[in-house]
Amino acid sequence: MKVFIQFFKDSIEEVTSGSKAYHLWMAFLTLVMLIGAYCYYIQVDQGLIVTGMSDGVSWGLYISNFTFLVGIAAAAVMLVLPSYVFKDIDFKQAVLIGEGLAVSALVMCLAFVVVDVGGPANLWHVIPGIGILNFPNSMLSWDIIVLNGYLFINITIPLYILINIYQNKEPNKKVYLPGVFISVFWAVSIHMVTAFLYQGLQARPFWNTALLGPRFLASAFAAGPALIILILTVINKFTLFKVEDKTVNKIAIIVTVAAQINIIMLISELFKEFYFPTHHSISAQYLFFGLEGKTALVPWIWTSITLNIVATVMLTIHKIRTNKKFLIIACIILFIGIWIEKGFGLIVPGFIPGQWGEITEYTPSFIEIGVTLSIWALGAFIFTILAKTGIAVETGKLRFVKK
Amino acid sequence: MSKEEIKNNQQDQNTWHQITLENTDRRGALKKMTAGLIAGVGIASTSCSVFSEDHEKEASQMSWDEFFKKNYKIMSDDERIQTVQRLESLYEKKTGNTINISHQGPMEDVLFGYAFNISKCQGYMDCVNACIEENNQDRDSQMQYIRIHQIEKGHGFNFEKAEDNYYNEVPANNHFYIGTQCFHCENPPCVSVCPTEATWKEKDGIVVVDYDWCIGCRYCSASCPYDGRRFNWGQPHVPEEEVNKNQHYLGNRLRKKGVMEKCTFCIQRSRSGENPACVDACPTGARKFGNLLDPKSEIRWILENKKVFRLKEDLGTEPKFWYYMD
Amino acid sequence: MNSFKLIASLVLFTGLVSCSSNHEKEHQYHGNFEKIKALEVDSISYPVNSLDLIGQTTLVEVKTEEVTFYIPERKSSIKSFKCSECHTKSIPELKASNLTGKRAHWNIELNHATPDVLMCNSCHPTQNLDNLKSNLNADIDFNQSYKACAQCHSSEYKDWLGGAHGKRVKGWVNPRISQTCVGCHNPHSPKFETRLPSRLNTKKIEERR
Repeated sequence: MKVFIQFFKDSIEEVTSGSKAYHLWMAFLTLVMLIGAYCYYIQVDQGLIVTGMSDGVSWGLYISNFTFLVGIAAAAVMLVLPSYVFKDIDFKQAVLIGEGLAVSALVMCLAFVVVDVGGPANLWHVIPGIGILNFPNSMLSWDIIVLNGYLFINITIPLYILINIYQNKEPNKKVYLPGVFISVFWAVSIHMVTAFLYQGLQARPFWNTALLGPRFLASAFAAGPALIILILTVINKFTLFKVEDKTVNKIAIIVTVAAQINIIMLISELFKEFYFPTHHSISAQYLFFGLEGKTALVPWIWTSITLNIVATVMLTIHKIRTNKKFLIIACIILFIGIWIEKGFGLIVPGFIPGQWGEITEYTPSFIEIGVTLSIWALGAFIFTILAKTGIAVETGKLRFVKK
Repeated sequence: MSKEEIKNNQQDQNTWHQITLENTDRRGALKKMTAGLIAGVGIASTSCSVFSEDHEKEASQMSWDEFFKKNYKIMSDDERIQTVQRLESLYEKKTGNTINISHQGPMEDVLFGYAFNISKCQGYMDCVNACIEENNQDRDSQMQYIRIHQIEKGHGFNFEKAEDNYYNEVPANNHFYIGTQCFHCENPPCVSVCPTEATWKEKDGIVVVDYDWCIGCRYCSASCPYDGRRFNWGQPHVPEEEVNKNQHYLGNRLRKKGVMEKCTFCIQRSRSGENPACVDACPTGARKFGNLLDPKSEIRWILENKKVFRLKEDLGTEPKFWYYMD
Repeated sequence: MNSFKLIASLVLFTGLVSCSSNHEKEHQYHGNFEKIKALEVDSISYPVNSLDLIGQTTLVEVKTEEVTFYIPERKSSIKSFKCSECHTKSIPELKASNLTGKRAHWNIELNHATPDVLMCNSCHPTQNLDNLKSNLNADIDFNQSYKACAQCHSSEYKDWLGGAHGKRVKGWVNPRISQTCVGCHNPHSPKFETRLPSRLNTKKIEERR
């Protein structure tokens, strides 16, 4: 217990001290969060009417980001498996970053759900015991369970490892390995469950496809590790923590394969929708070509597809992938491409056209964008804190000293 | 107690059997301490006059209890009476007007069904109007449960070619009309997906929402193939003089922002034997309502003698809303 | 070995989902008709009676082999019934006599079928205006005017008896009280008129802009 208190004290000290750039970065994030908090206050006060959502498109930017971030959270932990289980030392350094990323992505996911509901004060209704959780019928209740469970696992495992290193002890494999196994299995489950959330709705043919779950996984394993590569690059530049190129290259291969699979699934989907278009292809028609002159999503989705293809081609060519600079560009492109495709490129067209063919378009309001940005800032904030502490422990800067 | 109330109570006793009641109070110690007190307060408040300070205290206590109450579905009969009394007296404190909120349960051997005669509907939208007035729908956002689609003849039932917000002389030349609303499915997807069981199917087939238990996630609205659900994006507003004071807990009582609502076959009317407001308002008799479990009912005659169909039958939701033609 | 574990756990997981989704307390029926057949009751007594709902209205019984129900009584709501109290002379005589004083329904225009099929005296016998008449000159009481309509509109009549055509008064509970033909249709101009809808939703237009 004493160790814990000391650990937290030390970490607080660690995260409150740093370079000027670090302080500026944290101040910037805090500012964005404050602006977002004000936007959220307006939203709570006046209701969701201040967002761009309507009965036509009843989920928007919030749920889009939620969906995308579940993928990030899931993918981050997939780096754990090779590292701990296959004893591949290369990955081990990336793992800590990965789990930190998973935790912050999960916090963002939960925040996006909380800001999306109409009655946040009533959220205690989902807590079994004092409320009712419609388990197992509602996929949303599954999602609540798996996301919180995943958050718990991803906090406890790294904490256990870090605390041990902090005390100059070797973490006991028998303790954390089962946890690692569970978390890998759980990572797949959070993403599949989130896909099932949409996939199970017979009312929305655009989502009601067996490919949705696998495609979620593929795009997650492309976007998540791509983000890790970017983060590792930043960390390499700004901290003492050095990750070998070998590791980055291995992660890049994961990204490449996942992006390739994602493109194949995209082609399969496009073929099904457009080779012989049925009544159920109409949402896809809206997404890719527009309907009745309404084309809000068309530029976005083509941008996304272009970005995806360009990035995948870049990554596939060995020479480009192994070039650090091009790798970073490819990762950025891929990340943005998947964010569009899996965010509002997936959620919004599910609602358009409506059940009786009417077309209500969706544009997020400024308040919605403000809240969204602030949640991203929150995620970045949490990640920075976690990474800074973790790195300090790993590099030996932070150690338990008996006073 | 007025005659009305006595009558209501008697009916309640006769018709409660829907849900297994949970005896354990799960709202914790806080609720336990206040429940008994409030049960008395609700009744007492109508007969005794209290000091204004106590009044305010009482009101805030009531709001507190309202916030921590259970899902209506698992409330005991007593708890239902208590919450109804709290809501009635909170409304009275706020506006000075009295309302009557019923908590009447389903009748025995009743399963509601609805039929819509496409040949007869002329697109007047009298039903839409009646529905809004009866069910206290938000006037600001112009919420409507019913939608009448004007479809040009020669395209079949092509809803993509339909106009559901027309304003022309009706019936328009070469057009026909078809109405949609909540179909009160026998396998309602909206009920399965709700994470808090804030929406469910009653024994008489009506799919209802507990507005106070809903968290506003809108999953139900995404899962409904028939556009049967409406969300309160802002604070709903009905001018005081237009408020229908004859209400039901699961029906037309006033809603708040951030919760889902929907057609309840006018539960406040249908459970006391009356037709839903849309059926009553339709000047052409295109709307038919009745008990599916009564072989001699008109709705059963329609199902057995007319060529009936339902919309999106292939989805397996089993709507209890049929269409037919002359 | 490890990948096998992964696959096994995935299978287990999906298995869990599919098993648990079938879990329901209520008895499940395969659709409405199975449920209706299983639960229907031959004679139901409701706690409410439709006669209580409509208040003080006198009713007329409609009875056929298949159904018995009630319609609102008509004669008491006809202004200045009996007709014979004014119509002391036959119509041609009345027209010829150049009457002064209040004119009651001189402006009725018949907008029902064509003149070679229907005229005033097709339903109103000039000799006895207190009743309607059938095609074969049998008397039809004003309270049973549907019998006059049913002569031509046999399929509507059949649907009305069954319940597919027409409209219930007030409630859905027993006993059945329905509107009679003239409760909704003006017999002299039975077609519903065109008009503007009662409402236009301006918010919806904004939303779909």
